[in-house]
Amino acid sequence: MKKLIRFVQANNLFIKFFLVMVISIIAVSLFITYSSIRMSSNLFIDTFSITNSKVMDQITQRFNSFTDSIVSASLEVDTNGTIKQLLLEDHDNAVDKSTFYFYMTDEMDRIYSEVDPDDTNMVIMSNSNDIFNMNYIKWQINGHTLMNDPMIERVENSPNEIVYQYEDSELTNGVPMIIASKALKLKTGYIYGYLFFSLTEPDLKEFYESYTGVGNNVLLVTPTGKIISSNQDERIGETSPQLLSYAEDFENLDAEYQQVNVFDQDYIFLSEYIPSLDIYLINLIDQETVAENVTDTNEIILISIAIVSLSVLVAFLILRRMTNSISNLVHQISDMARYQFNKPLKVTGGYETRKIANAFNYMLNELQDYVQILMKTQEKQRKAELEALQHQISPHFIYNTLASIKFMIKQEKKETASDTIDSFISLLQSSISNADETITVEQELENLKSYVQINQARYGERIKVNYLVSPDCLDLYLPKLVIQPFIENAFFHAFTKKKSGYIQILIAQKEEKLVCEIIDNGDGMISERIANNTIKSKEKRQLFSGIGVKNVHERIQLRYGKNYGVEITSELSKGTRVIIKLPVNDEQT
Amino acid sequence: MKKTLSKKLWLLMLALFTALVLTACSGDDEGSDNAEGNDDAEGSEASEGEGAELTAWAWDVNFNIAALNLALEHYDNEEFNLEIIENAQDDIVQRLNTGLSSGTMKGMPNIVLIEDQRAQSFLQSYPDAFYAIGDYFNTEDFADYKIAPTSLDGAQYGLPFDTGVTGLFYRTDYLEEAGYSHEDLVDITWTEYIEIATDVKEKTGKAMLSLDPNDLGILRVMMQTTGAWYTTEDGSIQLEDNEALKMALENYKALLNNDLANLHSDWSQFLASFNSGDTASVPVGNWIAPSVEAEESQSGLWRVAPTPRLDMEGAANASNQGGSSFYVLNIDGKEAAAEFLGETFGSNVEFYQDLVTEVGAIGTYKPASEGDAYQFENEFFNGQQVVYDFSQWMEDIPQVDYGMNTYGIEDILSAEIQQYLDGKDLDEMLTDAQAQAENQFK
Repeated sequence: MKKLIRFVQANNLFIKFFLVMVISIIAVSLFITYSSIRMSSNLFIDTFSITNSKVMDQITQRFNSFTDSIVSASLEVDTNGTIKQLLLEDHDNAVDKSTFYFYMTDEMDRIYSEVDPDDTNMVIMSNSNDIFNMNYIKWQINGHTLMNDPMIERVENSPNEIVYQYEDSELTNGVPMIIASKALKLKTGYIYGYLFFSLTEPDLKEFYESYTGVGNNVLLVTPTGKIISSNQDERIGETSPQLLSYAEDFENLDAEYQQVNVFDQDYIFLSEYIPSLDIYLINLIDQETVAENVTDTNEIILISIAIVSLSVLVAFLILRRMTNSISNLVHQISDMARYQFNKPLKVTGGYETRKIANAFNYMLNELQDYVQILMKTQEKQRKAELEALQHQISPHFIYNTLASIKFMIKQEKKETASDTIDSFISLLQSSISNADETITVEQELENLKSYVQINQARYGERIKVNYLVSPDCLDLYLPKLVIQPFIENAFFHAFTKKKSGYIQILIAQKEEKLVCEIIDNGDGMISERIANNTIKSKEKRQLFSGIGVKNVHERIQLRYGKNYGVEITSELSKGTRVIIKLPVNDEQT
Repeated sequence: MKKTLSKKLWLLMLALFTALVLTACSGDDEGSDNAEGNDDAEGSEASEGEGAELTAWAWDVNFNIAALNLALEHYDNEEFNLEIIENAQDDIVQRLNTGLSSGTMKGMPNIVLIEDQRAQSFLQSYPDAFYAIGDYFNTEDFADYKIAPTSLDGAQYGLPFDTGVTGLFYRTDYLEEAGYSHEDLVDITWTEYIEIATDVKEKTGKAMLSLDPNDLGILRVMMQTTGAWYTTEDGSIQLEDNEALKMALENYKALLNNDLANLHSDWSQFLASFNSGDTASVPVGNWIAPSVEAEESQSGLWRVAPTPRLDMEGAANASNQGGSSFYVLNIDGKEAAAEFLGETFGSNVEFYQDLVTEVGAIGTYKPASEGDAYQFENEFFNGQQVVYDFSQWMEDIPQVDYGMNTYGIEDILSAEIQQYLDGKDLDEMLTDAQAQAENQFK
């Protein structure tokens, strides 16, 4: 769990970006896929419906031309004098009958050619039940059955019209067919025969079957709701009042098509009323089945998935790269402090991160430059301060020395006074008139001796000072007032308990260094007083110059670096040892 | 260096991505193309397969259609599909004429049944429309008289099917009621037949036969007993001074004048006329036997006597009517159709045995007549060996060259006959008909 949280924190940026990207890619592709599928299927259904309403018109036209041919054929029969005469005459003997049969068939043959192309059968029945059947294969009927059928009554009741009806009863031997019947009557109203046209359902189907297909169905429905013909054979003979009511509503509807639910399924519904046959021509389009053939939804979804996964992968790679370099940058920056802002950032990653890293590095460099300049300035200032100090002789020292000399003169120690004045002059000369920072060991020795002489003249000679200087060192240079402060310290602090002792000054070259040792056998110090290579001193005593023991070490290190400096060791009641290490310089610097 | 490298990497990735997307798309397209292609291929294969679903046109459910169905049962080829479509014979003739004369052959069947008397008119009018099937069977196995009408210029186009040998089917009960036995009906003339008919009509009130004024088949049956026809052997029309025709017409008129015949105007009415018991005899080709037998309630009431002959010298008590043969049209699937016919009607003896027993059809395939089925005693016909009798009579049929225009001439004649029935002089009528026919078939 902790690991997970750490991981999330570490990849925070990446995860945020990636999630946003993935969600938007998926959302966009989902939306596009959905809308394109919807649009294409809508467009398809629209065009399909338009085409189908045209198809409906064509089918209607075929039906109309069929009824037209029936009407014109029946007109011809009606107006045919030969047929009228033959049907009106009595045919008692076989000879008459033979003539009757021959000429009837002969006349009918000619008229029949009008309706024959539609596979329609034409039948004429005389009042004496003679049947003239032009294509007995289509409708095998005998006069007796036909005469006793209720159809005849219906025809007689409307003798001026062609009566269409749907039959699949015994009358047609169970073959479903449309029968158009008309009474042949004289002006007086006497019916002299009956004319029938029959069209079997399979032949009727041919009117529209070529327009149908899977999911695109055509049905013929009578005003009673009975389906008399369909390319879906199983529906023939069914009664569907629902379908009928849709068809009736559709007549008053000013729409290209309508969505309906019949036979427990959703369909696109088109309908046309064919007045001549008194039937509804209905077109049911199973939108799903038909649209399925056009838009392969699975394929579209597959393509979308492929594109989404590809773009997610690419987004992953790009983001990973970008955020990784940024995260790296952040890591490096947060680690900056550990390397004291000295380590530059690695310039890697994308354009932005490289720019940032470069800018950061540039800033770092500038910062370092400034810091160095600042440090140098400070150093210079310190140096200047120290220099200023070492050129001064404390006025107290001058005053005290002069006061001492006055006492000596009063006590008439002329010689001592004269020596002291000499020493004093030499000191003043060395420190005031000599503007150089370094002096030779010999000169320093001179100064030391003058200082010691003055002090001994003032405080007596209970403290002795010995000088052991290697001759090869005499010409080497060393900074002014390096040794003096320690002698001063030894004079005034090392011999408070012991009243007498000595101070030894040793100067020699050791390991290519100039080593000056100041050793006293005085009181010694507790180690607490020795810190940072200086001697802590509380008292505010007037020193020889502004330079005390405390800044000798600092001065040396400022000037020569870490290899040089002051070391102090001390032991209580045994004495103190100060070692000053300096570079070997045989030239004025 | 690093910069350019990463730039290149990006370009590469971009290119890769585009390529991927493009191949994905084009791949899909190809895939769907292929799929469509396959569909098409399958579709065309399927349609070829359906093309292998051949069609055959024939008439008479009880006879020709039944024979074709039986042949299908005997044909051991699972890939072979034959759709048998029933049409009236006139319809077939009309459709064939329409289709063949247009030359498109669209909607034409693969196999069609054509009556022998019509065959030459088709073969000669549309020589390229039919496929010569002589290679699929041995013509010598068939009755000689069937070969001439079914071949043209030495090439065999038709596979001879049934013999048209005629017989006089009659109701034993009606005839007995009128005082006639079987012997009284054997080897009679048409004149005697009319006398018998008169008695039957008187005694039973039944008509002797049923006639269709538009079909003069009965005249042909009568004529052929003397070996005469509407045309001579050289093809010239001979209606005038055709003694046999004249005699036949006189008989025809006598039958009608004396109200001895019922009339019908279509095939179903014809079948009804004897199935309903309205007529006492049916003097037509043997192919009517299954239709007669279809009325099972009349079993045992029927017998068959030889065809009456014309009262002329050299006339035989045997005639021919409406024997037909199968033809293969010269369209896709012709090989399969010819193979089917050759394997069944052309060579299968066993099939012919079943044909006789199950359908009652008598083929003209000679090896078949040696089978037991020909000796079969038919219960429906009072135990008569009907098939054997027919095959005997078949041998006596006088040879006739039907020529090209049998039915054309008959159309003219049937119109003229109406006037003859109306009282016109016979010779005059024939002269008129002769003139009309000569004009029409010049």
